[in-house]
Amino acid sequence: MTKTLMRVLSLGLMTSMGASLLPALAYAGTYDLTVDRVLIDTGEFTKEGIGYNGKSPGPVLRFKEGEEVTINVTNNLDEPTSIHWHGLILPYQMDGVPKISFPGIKPGETFTYKFPIVQSGTHWFHSHSEFQEPDGAYGSIVIEPEKKEPFRFDRDYVVQFTDKHPHSGKRIMRNLKMAADYYNRKQQTLGDFFSDVKKNGFSETLTDRMDWGSMRMMASDIEDVQGFTPLINGMGPEQNWTGIFTPKERVRLRFINSSAMTYFDVRIPGLKMTVVASDGNYVQPVTVDELRIGVAETYDVIVRPKEDKAYTIFGASMGRTAYARGTLAPREGMVAAIPEMTGRPLLTMADMGMDHGNIAGMDHSNMKGMDHSNMKGMDHSNMAGMDHSNMKGMGSGEDEFYAGGSGLTPAAANGGKFLSYADLKAQKPIYEHREATREIELRLTGNMERYIWSINGVKYEDAEPIKLQYGERVRFKFVNETMMTHPMHLHGMWSILDVGADKWNPAKHTISVAPGTTVYSETEVDAEGQWAFHCHLSYHADAGMFRKVVVEGGPKSASLTTLKEGEMQ
Amino acid sequence: MKIRRNFLSGVAGATLTVTLALGSAIALAAGNHHGGHHGDKAAIGVPGEASEVTRTIEIKMFDNYYEPEEISVKKGETILFKVVNVGELVHEFNIGTAATHAAHQEEMMMMVEHGVLEADKINHDMMKMDMGNGKTMEHNDPNSALLAPAESAEIIWKFADGGELEFACNVPGHYDAGMMGEFSIE
Repeated sequence: MTKTLMRVLSLGLMTSMGASLLPALAYAGTYDLTVDRVLIDTGEFTKEGIGYNGKSPGPVLRFKEGEEVTINVTNNLDEPTSIHWHGLILPYQMDGVPKISFPGIKPGETFTYKFPIVQSGTHWFHSHSEFQEPDGAYGSIVIEPEKKEPFRFDRDYVVQFTDKHPHSGKRIMRNLKMAADYYNRKQQTLGDFFSDVKKNGFSETLTDRMDWGSMRMMASDIEDVQGFTPLINGMGPEQNWTGIFTPKERVRLRFINSSAMTYFDVRIPGLKMTVVASDGNYVQPVTVDELRIGVAETYDVIVRPKEDKAYTIFGASMGRTAYARGTLAPREGMVAAIPEMTGRPLLTMADMGMDHGNIAGMDHSNMKGMDHSNMKGMDHSNMAGMDHSNMKGMGSGEDEFYAGGSGLTPAAANGGKFLSYADLKAQKPIYEHREATREIELRLTGNMERYIWSINGVKYEDAEPIKLQYGERVRFKFVNETMMTHPMHLHGMWSILDVGADKWNPAKHTISVAPGTTVYSETEVDAEGQWAFHCHLSYHADAGMFRKVVVEGGPKSASLTTLKEGEMQ
Repeated sequence: MKIRRNFLSGVAGATLTVTLALGSAIALAAGNHHGGHHGDKAAIGVPGEASEVTRTIEIKMFDNYYEPEEISVKKGETILFKVVNVGELVHEFNIGTAATHAAHQEEMMMMVEHGVLEADKINHDMMKMDMGNGKTMEHNDPNSALLAPAESAEIIWKFADGGELEFACNVPGHYDAGMMGEFSIE
């Protein structure tokens, strides 16, 4: 690696007597990244791609909260590039989105990013140009906090999931535009039709297929793009990335999903995972058997393997077409069994928003998720005054973040606890809770056949920017009118996901919206400038499910300038 | 046997004295050296007498960890634990075995699900409610202190001659996040 890492104390080093008068000692680190053509070997195929410092994934950048970082990015490609620091709060000119935050980095040029690190946790970085990210242009960021963390761990590993495809991003997009089902190998066949006829009868089966046909969609279309090899830290299932532990140690795993298109259902058979952070922000610890990580999300978990044996980290893709596999083991070379991929989902009419009469998961008065059999001898007649409206998302039943009757609602393979968004509660809220000042509705829309993805029916190139006022708190209402799950990512400001927990609602950077559902998030508009806001599925973003957000009225708004392409600072 | 809960903030200067019912399940198990809660062979010790206290140990409860992280005691020693919650969430200091803690975590989960226990608040009124069999969710066992932010409590505990004991916070998720420690009994 050509990375040079220079940490100097920029302040106060020479004036130790006066140190207490200074703010904290500020670190200033300089980091060099080159953007290179690289070869990516998944164990199943080798493919040319793009990486950083000669490798994909790029390095783990390790920053400290309070540090002032300088990152020199040199473009060794023959096309423009950029780096977006996903999840980092920074000045908009440093956010790395061509034509929105800066002009981009031309071939042969070096762009210097410089910004303060004002947070901690698990994050990542990637190119925001063309299809460089699906081609391998990503890395991870680990920021050490100023204060002691609200949990204990002895080991610390980044576990970065990606979905490497044998086709280049450009080629995939071309094929999707030509035929949206180009990569959907799990299509229902004529054979399926006849077996369904046997099971459900001819007319019901025919009606079902005609319903789907009239929507130009298929029930098996959960992953637009199949045929990829899932990687963990750049290693395919056979290459088996391995993290070493000593029995009884607490191991922190920093799950990052840097895939172009793929959600993963992650479990480690034999171990419970205690989720302690989401999208880089601490959450109140919640112990689960399995979790679903949407594209661009991060989750930190603590596991405590007590036995002297290997454990498999298993990430089945949401559509169950492929799996990522790694291992936690006391010694190199040890392996554990690889579980079967179970529970292949099929979309239902509920996922199409066609089945509004049966939204069981949304009806809190029914409280279907509650398992009353566990409430040993409780007399419910005496429970007057308890606020049952707070009881959503409980137990192992319906998950309110999926449409009632959805085929996508996850269930843990071992019958245990599957993490729901409803379980995520901020450990220490970033903002005071307050009423939103206004609501903005964003319908997530698309034309599957033409592979156009849009917001409120308008694709990016035809859309006006979303204008926000500095200081307001906006409530975004995401209404998913498509059959796909969309991970919506707002740059520059937190998306406080409404899980019904008021002040404990967790701040995230990416909000996954399942088909047929409406999800709310709130944003304290506290960062001036202009920002990207988009679906993080690479081909949906490119197809138009993307907006520019302009924050008006900030303290420095007079100096806000739109940079023209090709203009360097 | 008494536990004093001192509220550092909130009701100014109020001191609430809770008289414990020794008939509760954990107290009974704890009082029996050969008994055991949930099948554990070793006794966890018994509530101690103030006159027998030989040592005071201060326990600070942060979000979500303790200081100290481990505690050494002598066989049969009686210790006064001064426990203070300096965090922003509810925490517990509970003396038990891995098994009693696991069982207790299930009960605490139920309290969370019923709104009795909020992240930063204990709804004491709700805990007094009759659960139908004369039992309540009141959390006043002599081997534990469940404290809201800024609250403090004292526990006097006489340790047995052995046993694999842990102190733990059984608020859901906290134990697994590392809010537990081992007693070494020498």
